[in-house]
Amino acid sequence: MPRRDRSPGRFAYEGLDRVIHERARLSVLTSLAAHPKGLAFGDLKRLCRLTDGNLSRHLRILEEPGLVEITKTFRDNRPHTTCRLTAAGRRRFLEYLAVLETVVADAATAARDEAPARRGLVKGFAPA
Amino acid sequence: MMQSDGLMLRDLDQALAEISAIRSQIARSVVFRGYGPATLATTGLLAFVAAGAQAAFLDDPARHVSTYLALWAGTALVCAGLVGLEMITRTRRVHGPLAQEMLWTAVEQFVPAAAAGGFFTLVLLASAPEAAWMLPGLWQVIFSLGVFASCRFLPPAIFWVGGWYLAAGLGSIALARGELALSPAAMGVGFGVGQLLTALILHFHREEGEGDA
Repeated sequence: MPRRDRSPGRFAYEGLDRVIHERARLSVLTSLAAHPKGLAFGDLKRLCRLTDGNLSRHLRILEEPGLVEITKTFRDNRPHTTCRLTAAGRRRFLEYLAVLETVVADAATAARDEAPARRGLVKGFAPA
Repeated sequence: MMQSDGLMLRDLDQALAEISAIRSQIARSVVFRGYGPATLATTGLLAFVAAGAQAAFLDDPARHVSTYLALWAGTALVCAGLVGLEMITRTRRVHGPLAQEMLWTAVEQFVPAAAAGGFFTLVLLASAPEAAWMLPGLWQVIFSLGVFASCRFLPPAIFWVGGWYLAAGLGSIALARGELALSPAAMGVGFGVGQLLTALILHFHREEGEGDA
C-alpha cells in the first residue's frame, strides 16, 4: 500500500454530504448551479424528471439547511414558484464536488494500478 | 476481464470529466471577483504617468515610433503583470474551489483580444508602418472587444467600460491624426479613464458578491 494511502481517514470521504448525496437532490443542485437566476418549479421538475410531490419533498430537504431558496409569487394571477441556489448552497455543492472528484480519482488510480498486475497474473499462467 | 478494466477506467475518466464540466458551468455563472479595484486604478494612473512621460520626453512621436511603442508596450506589460499577479492571488482567496476554472474563464475571455492587439501591431509595423498613427485607436477598439467578451463574467455595468474604450478608440482614429498623431492624450485619456472607470464599477459592486463561491 503506498505511504500516502496509509494516513488515518484517507478514504473516509467525510465531505460527502448526506443532504446532497442523493440522486434527485444532486440533479436539483446541478440544475440550479447552472442557472444562477433560479429556475421555475415546472422547469426544474422537467429537467430532473421528478414528480411534483418528489421535487417538493427534496426541495424542502435542501431548503432546511439553507442550500436553496424558494420564492413564491403570483404571475398572471397564478402562483409561481422559483427555486435558486444560495451562496452557501453553491459553496457546499462545490465542496461536495471536490470530495466526489477525489473518490472517483482514487477509484481510477486503483483501477490503473490493478490492471497491469492482473495482466501479469494472467501472463504468468499462460503456456510458454 | 481486461476489457472490463478498460470499460471501468473509461467510465471513471468520463465521471471525472463530467465533474469538471459541472464545475466549469458553475464558474461561468458566477461573477468574477479576481480583478482588484485598487490595482486597476493603479493601472489607470500608470497610463496617465506614461502619457505625462511621453509629453515631457518624446517631442515628435510620429518620427520615433519605436520609442513610442517601447513606452506604451512597457506600460502595458507592467499593468498586465500587476493585474495578472493580483488576479491569481485574489481569485484563489475569493473563489476557493472554483479558482482554477474562474482564472481560465477570465483568461479565455480576455487574452484573445490582447493577443490580437499584439500580433496586429507587429503585422502593421512590418507591412504598413505609415499607418502607425492608427495604433492608439485600434488598440482601444481591440481592448473594447476584450472587455465586451468579459462582460458576462463581470458586473453588468462593465458593459459601459467596453463602450468607453470603443468610443475612445474610434474618437482617437477620427481626431488623433496629422499633427496630433500618436499624441499622449490618445492613449493616456483612453486607458487612464477606462481603467479608473473599471476600478470604480468593481469597487461599487464589491459588496454584492460577498459570499459567492
